[in-house]
Amino acid sequence: MRMRTIEISVGGFVLAGILALIFLAVQVSGVNTTQSEETYQLTARFSDVAGLRPRAKVSMAGVTIGRVSSIAVDLEWGDAIVTMDLYGPPGELTADTSAKILTEGILGARYIGLAPGADVEMLQAGDEITETQGALVLENLIGDFLTSLGKS
Amino acid sequence: MLGLLRALGVRFLDWLGALGRATLLWASAMLGLPRWQDVRLVVTQIYYVGVLSVVIIALSAFSIGAVLALQFYTQLARFGAEDAVGIGLALVLLRELGPVVTGLLFAGRAGSALTAEIGLMKTTEQLSSMEMMGVDPLKRIIAPRIWAGLISVPILTAVFNTVAIWGGFVVGVNWLGADPGGFWSGMQEGVEIYQDLVKGMIKSCVFALLVTWVAVFQGYDAPPTAEGMSLATTRTVVISSVLILATDFILTLVFYGDF
Amino acid sequence: MSAPVSDPFIEIRQLTFRRGDRVIFDGIDMDIPRGCITAIMGPSGTGKTTLLRIIGGQLKPDAGSVCVDGKDICRMDRAELFGFRRNLGMMFQSSALFTDLSVFENVAFPIRVHTDLSEELIRDLVLMKLNAVGLRGARDLRPSELSGGMARRVALARAIALDPDLIMYDEPFTGQDPIAMGVLVGLIKALNGALGTTSLLVSHDIHETVSIADQIVIIADGKVIGEGTPEQLRAVPSARVRQFMHGEADGPVPFHYPADDFAYDVLGELT
Repeated sequence: MRMRTIEISVGGFVLAGILALIFLAVQVSGVNTTQSEETYQLTARFSDVAGLRPRAKVSMAGVTIGRVSSIAVDLEWGDAIVTMDLYGPPGELTADTSAKILTEGILGARYIGLAPGADVEMLQAGDEITETQGALVLENLIGDFLTSLGKS
Repeated sequence: MLGLLRALGVRFLDWLGALGRATLLWASAMLGLPRWQDVRLVVTQIYYVGVLSVVIIALSAFSIGAVLALQFYTQLARFGAEDAVGIGLALVLLRELGPVVTGLLFAGRAGSALTAEIGLMKTTEQLSSMEMMGVDPLKRIIAPRIWAGLISVPILTAVFNTVAIWGGFVVGVNWLGADPGGFWSGMQEGVEIYQDLVKGMIKSCVFALLVTWVAVFQGYDAPPTAEGMSLATTRTVVISSVLILATDFILTLVFYGDF
Repeated sequence: MSAPVSDPFIEIRQLTFRRGDRVIFDGIDMDIPRGCITAIMGPSGTGKTTLLRIIGGQLKPDAGSVCVDGKDICRMDRAELFGFRRNLGMMFQSSALFTDLSVFENVAFPIRVHTDLSEELIRDLVLMKLNAVGLRGARDLRPSELSGGMARRVALARAIALDPDLIMYDEPFTGQDPIAMGVLVGLIKALNGALGTTSLLVSHDIHETVSIADQIVIIADGKVIGEGTPEQLRAVPSARVRQFMHGEADGPVPFHYPADDFAYDVLGELT
């Protein structure tokens, strides 16, 4: 085997590996340039965040505008505090924007859906969304339904 | 009863001794700075171990990707969720099948070849004669092959994943009719670079180390007979495979354990 | 056993080597004269190859000293051992050519390892050595394309690549056809004369060895049982030496592996 042929094919091999990795990173994992955009944080309190995970998407009208960065619990009040990273400059969402925890399609990944309000003031970095609705948990729904049946 | 315990004890000590020898071999070969001339040797070995494995890796990858897509599609179509073929394929491949199947194929093809080659060099006293000429066979023969394995297997895994996803695309989208946009976007939504890609590559690096280590050690330690060598090559494939699967289990628990 | 050699190149004193429970060498003393061909002979399994490995520094003895040209091999560090091996040529029983290199590259290997010579010089040296063994035309062949005898000759060329002071031959005549044997014998003798090296030969072949050896050492059971020139040894009264030198089937080394009485074994009763 000539050394030159070997060197060329090994070079090609390594190049193929690097290209494959790039493909996997970009096309498969969806690493994209918007990650390096500026983000600002908002918080929201929910009574129940069942099934919501960090990195879940935050969307408005079906368009992803941010990601959940962390979820913590307030032991005093029994609420969940969700911190979100929103893309783009702050000041685009109204102060009375509402946040709901919704379920995506059949496979059930939870995400946060934001719906706009009518306030003149806008949410700034670090603000809290006050209009929230927690996740709909099946057992609670059934419980409520049975209770309402029992009342009537 | 005592006889059985004694036999087991001897077996265990033998195994311990083998493990010790294997570690010493690895340490003696790998420690110390590589020299510039050695890079050439590593390149040559990458050719034999990596480049020559690409064909089998690519063929297997395409088939596996295609088959997975077929199976996923059939099941997901029942829920009207065909577009999830993309993400299902990607997660299974990146996290599990990519590193594991590549490791197994590598053990079978390149691992056994390494064992046979080194065993043969030892039997025909090539290693001894090298030593008598003042060249350390560990640094000249063993180390380049270990490095070549460590470099080649992750590359082969990346290639495997790529070809498999492409195979899945061909079957899922071109043949079965899933929506290409949904295929890719579902994948991109669900696949995370650290959680899935990076951890999968970490697995492949661990497997690379295990397979290469076992292959080289079995060849070096083999008794210098025809029977000894054939036993050694079989051992390489069997031990590597078992180690890969066991380590995969452990790593999966460690990486993804917080279900 | 015999008169001390006047100018020993290798002095072995009280060499003891054990492998597991077996004692391979039990405190042996040996002198290898300078510039001559010395043959080490003995029954199979007495550790002749092991002795070569000890002299080459590949194995360390449990006790004793091996001094080559005044320096003790067993006490050398890595750098000294490397320097020592530059002056050592070894020809293995299986020729041990590197299968992934051509004949040319095989012979050039030790030159490249120990020297910094230019490619032209290396080329000249390699061709000279190949010419000495008659294989200059085979320089681009691969070891797999060589016959056994040719491979041995290439191994010889490789062993003398750096004009060593000491050449060791491990069973060079084993399994060779008469022509190849004759070629090897002639080469070994010629090289020894031309280069003035000390040659150490390990062999079973009484006839070939006796024809070229200046000194013979016979080892059995971990001890030296005979030492001297071929003529001296032929005259030695020891039964063991005589059995070996004349190839007698039965003697101190018994023909029969220990077993029960033959009649009892076959007939099942004591006669």
